[in-house]
Amino acid sequence: MSDLAAILAVARKDLLQEVRGRAVTVATLFFSAVTLVMMAFAIGQDAALLQRSAPGVLWVALAFAGVIASAQSFQSDLEEGAFDQLLLYPVPRASVFLGKLLANWLYLTLLGLLMTPVTLVLYGAPAGPRAWLLVPTLALGTLGFALIATFYAALTANLRAREALLPVLMFPVVVPVLLGAVRASEATLQLSNAALTGGWLQLLGGFDLVYLVTCTAIFHLVVEE
Amino acid sequence: MTDPHETRKRPPWLRALGLVTLVLFAVGAYLALVVSPPDVNQGQLIRMMYAHVAVAWVCFVAVIVTALYGMLFLWQGKHLNDARAVANAEVATFFAGLTLLSGMTYSKPTLNTYWTWDAKLTLTALMFALLVGYFVVRGLIDDPTRRGRVSAVIGIVVAVSLPFNYLAAAWFRTLHPTLSVAVTGIHMAPTMLVVLLFNVGVAALVYLTFVSERVRIARLERAREEARERRERGAAEGEVVRV
Amino acid sequence: MGDTGVMPAPDASPEVPAIALDGVTKRFGREPVLRGLRLEMAPGRVAVLRGSNGAGKTTLLRLLATRLRPTSGHGRVFGYDLQRGGDEVRRRVALLSVLGGNYAMLTARENLALAATLTGLPDADVDGALAHVGLAQVADVLTRTFSSGMKKRLGLARLLLVDAPLWLLDEPFAALDEDGKRLLEDALASARAGGRTILMASHELERSSRFADAVLELEGGRLLRAGSGA
Repeated sequence: MSDLAAILAVARKDLLQEVRGRAVTVATLFFSAVTLVMMAFAIGQDAALLQRSAPGVLWVALAFAGVIASAQSFQSDLEEGAFDQLLLYPVPRASVFLGKLLANWLYLTLLGLLMTPVTLVLYGAPAGPRAWLLVPTLALGTLGFALIATFYAALTANLRAREALLPVLMFPVVVPVLLGAVRASEATLQLSNAALTGGWLQLLGGFDLVYLVTCTAIFHLVVEE
Repeated sequence: MTDPHETRKRPPWLRALGLVTLVLFAVGAYLALVVSPPDVNQGQLIRMMYAHVAVAWVCFVAVIVTALYGMLFLWQGKHLNDARAVANAEVATFFAGLTLLSGMTYSKPTLNTYWTWDAKLTLTALMFALLVGYFVVRGLIDDPTRRGRVSAVIGIVVAVSLPFNYLAAAWFRTLHPTLSVAVTGIHMAPTMLVVLLFNVGVAALVYLTFVSERVRIARLERAREEARERRERGAAEGEVVRV
Repeated sequence: MGDTGVMPAPDASPEVPAIALDGVTKRFGREPVLRGLRLEMAPGRVAVLRGSNGAGKTTLLRLLATRLRPTSGHGRVFGYDLQRGGDEVRRRVALLSVLGGNYAMLTARENLALAATLTGLPDADVDGALAHVGLAQVADVLTRTFSSGMKKRLGLARLLLVDAPLWLLDEPFAALDEDGKRLLEDALASARAGGRTILMASHELERSSRFADAVLELEGGRLLRAGSGA
């Protein structure tokens, strides 16, 4: 059995659970929608300001969705000792991490793909010719969130810590992701200098690569007791 | 067999270090407050800069050292390394606080605002938040070994976040170029450079003194722990049960 | 029954103990739960672990399954160190825990299939195992709706499927009805006949002692053979 098969099996299990349970879907969809609408009201009538705020609001909503999704993915595992059981198989810990990461990432990307047009419409931001660049931006950005969220969610779940601890631990780490993703989105939507997009995407890519390696390497320390 | 009373006293080298640090601190303060000429642009306020920069740099170094000792603990399992990591994290947190405070004291008179999105300040604020997280997680774990291992993990993530957060803070700054007085923007007379470096050295000495003292205390605590563990284990081992 | 899995038979000669604990201590806070345990269990033997609630039986079983790290001391399963050889140990161990370890939003079959895949036995006879424990009718039902007895049976099916050389069971008879208990007894008897090593924590004296080679007591964190003084 290859590690890849194990990773895919874990990811598939997570996604299957979500498709059936829909706990995360409901929570994140609702939360994201509420965030978008409330922020629109808070920002007010100024059309230009609204437009410029679109990327920021979108990514903050996705950041929080990442927290909800990751926390929940471990919650359901903990319930019947399933997470414990998962760790008893002769599967490297890293594979468990990567499997859960894959599921969370896929989920967040889908959520992002759904939220983006909604945001653009609500905030009156036109898509523009380079809008397709939003897709790699979404992929890289949500990967960054998913990486840190999954990692720390495992930590807080294993410590039986309060769920409020997860954003506290996570947010100072993902600031570069938030920044990079928002700026790249801005540049893509021509709300700012388009030439900067490459640089921001590189920051995102670098972040993702470094943390992918780091978190995978030290994950086994997070789940041991 | 070491005399338990003797080990509780501060060792001579540490006392000497503390004394030297105190003296050099006074010298550094004198240099900063009296010897250094006032800045062309900022006048007397530049004197705050010496403290501010000094503690900021030491804070970042301490964060990296925390991670290094954490990794050492993971590798060798010696609790002393975990104690060293914690000592460094404590100093880092303290110095981060000082950096933020000095930064705010600095910017209020010059820019009439308490907070600027200065790259260094932003980075320090993030580090402070991360270090708070480090201690919160530590507080959740009772078992010393597990606590050390999980702390090491957090320490590593915090250290890895340094360059990324710095980049983010710096690039963020370039998007808001209006409010800030970067250190590099100051025209540094040679005297000022000397004073600055001297004070950085003093800050480093303060750091070393704090860490050494803290580790010494942790060592004593640990010795007491180990004595208790040894007593327990000694009483516990029974015959091998064979099935 | 033992043919459902293709786990390697105990690869150790009888000289290598199935379990070897040397001064294993485990503490979660200030007080140790397990103190300086020393145990040697030969392959193919069956032992029952007794002790009051909270005595540390579950802790010991989880430690042997590498779910927990010992605070001090060393342990080996079939010669592989618990800390350094974790993967190898897990390949040879199966744990039936009190909670069952099932995913509520997956069906019985999916749960077993996952277990099979993650144990490296993608072609294992999942349906056979389900039939054996009497869950064939509910193979495609979400385990969320299962009673605790059914969840236990599913756990047993997993054990049969994986067929590890060392079985660790935590209160296996709890929650099972008469049928279930008989099923478990048969499974244990077959496993024993097939050379499997079994360590079982159980309050159920009669049934579990039936084929046990030894009864062990865990009290005050110390391990004793039942009937010995001290």
